[in-house]
Formats: sequence, C-alpha cells, structure tokens
Amino acid sequence: MNKEMLAIIKKDIRGITANRRMMISLLVVPIVLTVFLPTVFILTTYLMPTEVAELQKLLTFLPENQQAQNINDALAGLLLNYFLPLFFLIIPVMASSVMAASSFVGEKEKHTLETLLYAPLSLRQIFRAKVFAAFLLSMFVSFLSFSIMLIVLETEVTLTSGSFILPGIQWLFIMLLVSPAISLIAVTLIVRTSARAQSMEDAQQGAVFLLLPILMLLAGQFTGVMLISPLALLGIGAVCCCIAAVLLRQCMGRFTYEMLL
Amino acid sequence: MNAVTLNNLSKIYPDGKKAVDSVTISLEPGEVFGFLGPNGAGKTTTVKLLNGMLSPTDGSCSVFGIEPCKSPEKTHAISGVVTEHAQMYDTLTGLENLIFYGTIFGLSPAESKKRAESLLAQLELSEARDKKLGAYSTGMRQRLSLARALIHNPRLLFLDEPTSGLDPESAQNVHLLIRGLAQEKGITVFLCTHQLRYAQEICTRYGLMSEGRLIASGTLEELRGRIGAGMRVRIRTCPAGTASGILEENIASEEEIPQLVRRLTENGKSIYEVSTQAPSLEDIYFALTAAPETSQKNS
Ligand SMILES: Nc1ncnc2c1ncn2[C@@H]1O[C@H](COP(=O)(O)OP(=O)(O)OP(=O)(O)O)[C@@H](O)[C@H]1O
Ligand SMILES: [Mg+2]
Repeated sequence: MNKEMLAIIKKDIRGITANRRMMISLLVVPIVLTVFLPTVFILTTYLMPTEVAELQKLLTFLPENQQAQNINDALAGLLLNYFLPLFFLIIPVMASSVMAASSFVGEKEKHTLETLLYAPLSLRQIFRAKVFAAFLLSMFVSFLSFSIMLIVLETEVTLTSGSFILPGIQWLFIMLLVSPAISLIAVTLIVRTSARAQSMEDAQQGAVFLLLPILMLLAGQFTGVMLISPLALLGIGAVCCCIAAVLLRQCMGRFTYEMLL
Repeated sequence: MNAVTLNNLSKIYPDGKKAVDSVTISLEPGEVFGFLGPNGAGKTTTVKLLNGMLSPTDGSCSVFGIEPCKSPEKTHAISGVVTEHAQMYDTLTGLENLIFYGTIFGLSPAESKKRAESLLAQLELSEARDKKLGAYSTGMRQRLSLARALIHNPRLLFLDEPTSGLDPESAQNVHLLIRGLAQEKGITVFLCTHQLRYAQEICTRYGLMSEGRLIASGTLEELRGRIGAGMRVRIRTCPAGTASGILEENIASEEEIPQLVRRLTENGKSIYEVSTQAPSLEDIYFALTAAPETSQKNS
C-alpha cells in the first residue's frame, strides 16, 4: 500500500461521506436492524409478559450455562448473543455493496475513470485501493451500528429489568474476524462485477444477485454454528479470511484497460 | 531515442471497425506534432493506443522506448493526457482536484499544492481555485484538465482537442502555453486538433489521418511539396480600390515570378503589387483530404 493508493482510498471515502444521500442509505438499514428491531423485541417482552411464555420454547436452544433465572433477561441474552450477530454478517456486506458498486461504475458514469487510469498505478493497485476504501467504510458502518446497538440495548434492558446482559465472546470473533472477512469477500466480488458493468443499475443488480444467495446460505448456517460453539466461529472466520486473501490476490489479473472503459 | 514511435500500428475494434490502419510515425523529443484528420479518422484511437488504454491489433508503438501495452504505468508516469473523456471530480474544488492528481502521480501533498497553484495561475484559474468543479464552465474545465496533465512535469503531452470549447482568447493562450512548453522545457507534444490555423502556428510537424490511414506527414514545407503547388502569387494590375485586375496563380517556385511580371508588363499592364502566399495548412488539409486516392498514389 503506497501513498498514491492511500490518496485514492481517502478520495473515495470522502466522496461517500460528503454525499448525504449515500450516507443515509448506508446507515438506515443497519440502524433499523440493530436498534429498531431489538427495541421492539425488548419492549414486547417487557410490556406483554403473556406472550413471553410462548417465546420460552426458544430458550431450550440455549446451552445450559446460558440459561438465566429471569425469562426476560434470558430472552435479551438470546437476542444479543445469538440473533443480532447475524445482522453483522449482513450489514458490512450491504454497506460495501452500496459503495463497491459505485466505485468503478460511478467513476465511469462521471467520466473520471479514464483520468484515474492515466495515473502511473497498475490496474491491480487501483483495484485494491477501491476495494480497501469500500471495505474500510463498511467496517466503519459496522462498528458504528455495533456501538449504537450495544448502548441502546443495554440501556433498555437496564431500564426494563434493572439487570445487565453481557455480550458473549462470539462478538469478538464476529466483529474482528468473520464480519471483516465476509465483507472483504463481498467487496472484492462486487468491485469486480462493477468494473465490467456499464451503469450503476447494472452494477447494483449484479451485486444483489451475487449477495442474496450468499446471505441466505450464511443466515441459515450461522444460526446453527453460533449455537454450537464460538470456537467454530473462529474457524469459519479464518477460512473466510483465506478466501478473501486469495480473491484479492487473483481478482484483477485478467483485467485490461480496454475492458474497463 | 524517439519520443514517440508508431510502427505499422493497427487497431481493429471488437465490432470489426478498423480505426487505425498500419500507421508509422516517429517523433523526436521536443517536437510539436499536429495530428489532423476528419471526424472518425482514428486520432483518439491512436492516442489511446499510445497510452495503453487499448492494445494494438497489429504492429507496435512506444513512448520513450517503453511499450504502453506492456507497462502502461511507466508510460503514464512520463506523459500527461488531456482527452474529452478524462474528466475530474465535480464535488472537489479545482485546487483539490489538482492536489489529488498530483498525489497519485507521486508528488508529496506540499509539492502538489505548490505545483497546482502555479499551474492555476498560468491557466488563469486562480480565482476559481476554490470553486467546486461542478460550477466550472466548459472552457474552465478544459483548462483545468490541461493543468492536471501538467501536474507531474511530464516529458510528453498527449492533447486530444485541448481547445475545443474554449473562447478564442483562451484558445490562443493555451496554444501559446503549449508552444512555450515545447520550446522552453523541450516537452514533446502530440496534439490532435481540428483548429488548423492554430496548429499551423505551433506545430513543427504534422500527420494527416483519414479513415485510419496516415495519408501524409511531414513539416509544412514537405506537405506543401506534396500537394504540388509551391506557392500562390497574387499580382494587382490596377490601383487600390478597384476590384478588377487581380491575378492569382499557383507557381512551383519564386523563379517564375519575374517571368510572370515581365509577361504582364509586355502586355501593357501596370503592376501595382506583387505578393506571394504559400498555401496554408488549411489549404493543404483540404487538398489532401479531398482526394485521398491521388495522395495515396503519390506516397
Ligand atoms: N469503442 C469503439 N468501438 C468501436 N468503434 C469505435 C470505438 N471508438 C471509436 N470507434 C470507431 O473508430 C473510428 C475512429 O474513431 P476515433 O475516435 O479514433 O476518431 P477521431 O479521429 O478521434 O475522431 P474525432 O475527430 O471525431 O474525435 C470511428 O469510425 C469510430 O466510429
Ligand atoms: Mg477524437
């Protein structure tokens, strides 16, 4: 990573953060997923205790040691440690797709891509700079949502039941390993399809087709994995990291300027 | 070493269009090469080939010995490019844009800023430096593009219609700037243009393209030789103000003038004025593009 690439990364990130519409579309879904939905859940369990009895079945999924005395607390713990982490697989992928899709096509549409290609950087370097810009921003969105979610959730739990729920160790693996790795894979793939697309719509559609199956698969698999053990997460994270590294290395090899313009 | 070499360069687009057809050109460092030709002649395609944006179908090209299709980054480091499709970021100001491009060309931020400021002043954009590019007029954008192409002190400039959209005054300034760069800094300039009058003022050599083929190339003198007519002589045989009595004739050389004058005086005409005029680049352009068959036979 040299200073020329850093300049491109900085420019790309600034281009997004300076665009209010883009920022809002980046932040709305994560906030809905991680703040709005959990709040509804917590308030429901608090205000309608009769309904809670039905939810009690859910708790049987939990390992023995995780079973709390208080049903509400147990449900909140289930929410925090087994349900919400799933969103943090989806959020960075979505965030990065919004940006990655705009990275090459956006420049193509504004006729700035050709100028960028005249720089004394190889296509691979430009590609990586764009991938990293999208990746960094998606991590920012992801960590921001995490912080807001934790603050809001803990406040709500404290206010409703007076207790405090502890985030599990799996959060560490999710936020630092699995989520970044999946995000990197998504960004690399999307930037690659975006490089070929002729318009923003093309690129975003391509991104959706690419992501939906992955997301479904992930969501299905991870609920299970998370219940098994946090250690399995560590393994999955490592595998994802390897895939991301390979993709990043291989991805741009076949591209020529001619294909991009 | 040649600054630019094209060796039987050909490009066929994927749709089968032969845009450049075995073109051979070589330019010495410091030359200002005027690359002329009607729309669709293949000028822009040639510039793209020379920058590695396209790869040749046949033949080869090089820039200071570096082949752009093999190591484009290296050719980019020594050349500056202005083309219609190479725009900058509307959301950044003129100065910010230049600093960004300076940095990706390897300048430090401080250097970029200094260089950007001096170029903005040179191109009369100092007042607009803190305006967003979105608020620039076409001519201002065009001049900023030129500043961008010069930010890293390139040895070679590729200018694809750098003055389209400029008012006459700015166009003249830009042409003077280009000439100055070539004369003072020895920068080689590859200039595609339709503005023949300016081209004649600043170019040292020309290449004339038509339908992908180089139909003529050389200095203005050489091109004049190619179209046959050496010069045009104009003899006025009446007092100023009266219109009848102006004789214009194409002659091969100056040596024919005394003869012509003698013949006229012997016929009882009074000579008020004799002037000679070599055919302009425009005359040559029309002569050569009008009859591409004959000019191809000549070559
Ligand atoms: N991407 C492309 N795909 C297919 N054909 C193309 C492409 N770009 C240009 N051409 C064709 O190649 C020929 C040469 O085009 P080029 O842009 O090089 O002309 P030019 O000399 O720059 O013309 P102008 O003076 O109008 O800029 C034209 O016939 C054009 O239609
Ligand atoms: Mg052109």
